Amino acid sequence: MASITTQEATAEPAPRRRRFGRPRRQGPPAPPRPRLSFRIRLRRDKSLLLMTVPALLLLLLFNYLPMAGIIVAFEHYDIYQGLIHSNFVGLDEFRQLVANPDFWHAFENTLVISFVQLILYFPVPIALALMVNTVLSTKVRGFIQAVVYLPHFFSYVLVITIFQEFLGGAGVLNVFLNKHGISSWNIMTDPGTFKYLVTAQAVWKEAGWGLIVFLAALAAIDQSLYEAAAVDGAGRWRRMRHITMPGLRGIVILMLVLRLGNALSVGFEQMLIQRQAVGAGAADVLDTYSYIYGIGGGFGSSTTMGADYSYGAAAGLFKAVLSLILILGANRLAHAFGEDGLYRK
Amino acid sequence: MASSNTFTFTRRQVFKTSVAFGGAIAAAPLLSACGAGSTASKSSGVVAKAAVQAVLPTYKPSNAVTADIPGVPGANGAASDPAFLTYPASPPASVTGAVGSGGSYQAVSPLWGSVPPAGNSYYTALNQALGATLTDNPADGTTYATMLATRFASGNIPDWLAVPGWNVSSIQNFAEGVDKFFKDLTPYLAGDKILDYPNLAAIPTGGWQAGVWNGKLYGIPLWTSAAAVQGALFYRADIFKAAGIDPSTVTSADQLKAVGKQVNAPSKGQYAFEDLTKYLYQVFNIPQNNGNTGWTRDSTGKLVNGYEVPEFLELLNFENSLAKGGLIHPDALAGDSSKAKNRFWAGKTVITGDGTGAWNKSDAQSGVAASPNYERQAFKVFAFDGGKATMPLYPGAGMSSYLSKSLSDAKVKELLRIADYLAAPFGSAEYLIARYGKVGVDYTMTAGAPILTDEGNKVVTDVFDQLANCQAVTFNAGYNQMTKDYAAWQADMVQHATKPMFYSMNVSEPAQTAKASTALEAVITDVRMGRKGVSDYQSALSTWQNNGGNQLRTFYEGIAKQYGTGN
Repeated sequence: MASITTQEATAEPAPRRRRFGRPRRQGPPAPPRPRLSFRIRLRRDKSLLLMTVPALLLLLLFNYLPMAGIIVAFEHYDIYQGLIHSNFVGLDEFRQLVANPDFWHAFENTLVISFVQLILYFPVPIALALMVNTVLSTKVRGFIQAVVYLPHFFSYVLVITIFQEFLGGAGVLNVFLNKHGISSWNIMTDPGTFKYLVTAQAVWKEAGWGLIVFLAALAAIDQSLYEAAAVDGAGRWRRMRHITMPGLRGIVILMLVLRLGNALSVGFEQMLIQRQAVGAGAADVLDTYSYIYGIGGGFGSSTTMGADYSYGAAAGLFKAVLSLILILGANRLAHAFGEDGLYRK
Repeated sequence: MASSNTFTFTRRQVFKTSVAFGGAIAAAPLLSACGAGSTASKSSGVVAKAAVQAVLPTYKPSNAVTADIPGVPGANGAASDPAFLTYPASPPASVTGAVGSGGSYQAVSPLWGSVPPAGNSYYTALNQALGATLTDNPADGTTYATMLATRFASGNIPDWLAVPGWNVSSIQNFAEGVDKFFKDLTPYLAGDKILDYPNLAAIPTGGWQAGVWNGKLYGIPLWTSAAAVQGALFYRADIFKAAGIDPSTVTSADQLKAVGKQVNAPSKGQYAFEDLTKYLYQVFNIPQNNGNTGWTRDSTGKLVNGYEVPEFLELLNFENSLAKGGLIHPDALAGDSSKAKNRFWAGKTVITGDGTGAWNKSDAQSGVAASPNYERQAFKVFAFDGGKATMPLYPGAGMSSYLSKSLSDAKVKELLRIADYLAAPFGSAEYLIARYGKVGVDYTMTAGAPILTDEGNKVVTDVFDQLANCQAVTFNAGYNQMTKDYAAWQADMVQHATKPMFYSMNVSEPAQTAKASTALEAVITDVRMGRKGVSDYQSALSTWQNNGGNQLRTFYEGIAKQYGTGN
């Protein structure tokens, strides 16, 4: 037994070197620890557990308690009758929902925009991180980071205004084109290319912020691996492929899992603000659908004609259930790849 | 009010232009086919005309002051607002005896602007005059509907609450909420009982009618006008003049488009039109009621909605051609309606649709700041085919205020006396205190008009006059030509006034039909902005009919049979 332990201790760094980037989960299993009884563990961890209580209370109060409101989706909710006394109608609202082509259209838009964003947006922060990582001067690097972070702090109202000022029909670009007798380019009001427009806006606003987590992952890669590889004659591309990429794999998969779980949330404000510009056919996604048909009445929008809380709640619940399935599915997939996913299996 | 002096729909009209269209469909969950449930009986809020007449107060006009330009009577009970060129030099008193009896009340009203500090000179001056403590907690006007919906759901109703007419649709089954939360004022004000409150009695009957729900009088009318309409088509008179265009030639849709083409100059950044939205309903004779399409009877006697009449296709064709013809400002096509006024002020658009309240002193000041020669004028009312023009009337009061049901008899009477004070007619001494605060501190009399001081500009704003006020009058201190132009336009407009079907009947429509209209409006926007064709509208219309339109038709057929059509 003792000899095995020693061997393990000396052998440990070896697999790290051989299988780059997957150091944590590999290697022979640690010797089983004696399992402590629940009571002993409780006593041992009581101060830690106590510290989680406030957070748990908040979670309960603001996340779990309001879930009782889900019942609205199963009744014809009447504000004067309240949650308990409103007319219970079972799945009637859901029946109306699935029978409505507009709803499926919003669902389709959600999936399409989400897919486009996955393909065009998701790789951008990784690529940016790799590029920024190659910059050696900390001053230049800090400056680049500050510049690309900044748009994250703008609201979408501002982002869209900026896009409108530059690319809109009366914006800088089109005024220039008009002055030179070239026909204008109506990207801001074209329903056909709207999915690319919103993706471009998302990239402009959020890519820099998404960079942070990948930069952190890059910083965590052992520099000696690069040195060793360089000594062994590995060039720039080989180092990237065999050290950097595997080192990023875990975090990329985690981000992908989170992203899939959020696949049905594709930017509520962005769609709502631009709904008039491209029309409901292109801009209605599940979130805005639930809002516009559920509570949209009288919020300064000329396109909503009244509130139907139950219908909106049904649409929202539909989305929530699908999202839960998606995130659990993605998590399983991550485990199948041998990664941690949301939690370690 | 602090800066604008047209006492019609002023500041909120900015908002109203977009919101009044929001929909008059009050959200009442319809008892569905399975309706054996325990839900309390739902009411549509309506009663027969005779029952409404029975609860309406007697109208006794005030003779405190005479208008410089008296109101001109028009068709169907419409009349232009009386207009004033100066404020009377020695304002008469309109209230006798003590007003309040030391009570303390909380009120909530909408405000578009920053909330003045509590306990300021204006509040103090008014409360001193009232002999009571009236505390108004103004809420943001743009999100007022959300605030109201939350209050109704929770039952947290202040002593005195202002409810804009265009917010009613966002409160589920408002008619039921009125019964549950608000004081029935019928025993206090119906018939000759109102004569105890002479200033309230001087508010025209049309205003009170807007406050009748379920056959009882609940609402105190605000901004009462017999010339309340959706709005007007405005043009930049200075740009027209420079281009040598005579606006009186615009008497049909084609001519409107033709002058639009003349002033359209995209290379200069000047476009002919703003998004004209529903301001064209009037031009195309679309049946409408309170900002949305309304109902009419076709030749067979069947009820048809404004969406269904042939003129609606003409309207869509016209709007579509403006968009496709490059005559509408691109930012308007991109749905940015919040800067519509700024574009008009700056001359980026030449023709726009807006509420009539947009034609006032503060608009002129903002316009001149953006373009030195700025002048706003409105086209005279015309019809798309050059034929007989009509202008559908809005309910007599754009807003109403309500008293809490929990108030005791004595408190209701005290608040009504306070309301009477706040409703003092233009030209009276009380009006000055209610709207301008303390003389010398908040305002000074300059050249026959009350002008706010720096202090006044900070603290005097639309707060108490959103709880009760007198009949709307036109007054733009120092801008008398504008007052005259507006009065002349109104005098012509009211001659074309018509009462829509179900006029001022306070109908709460079944909530479940709202989805269909929301979906149809989305397609209409697409067609109007040139993204879809008129044929797309026709298929959307049949979807609307099947998903709620026909249900609404049956609903209104029932209302008509049971209670009449309000005409």
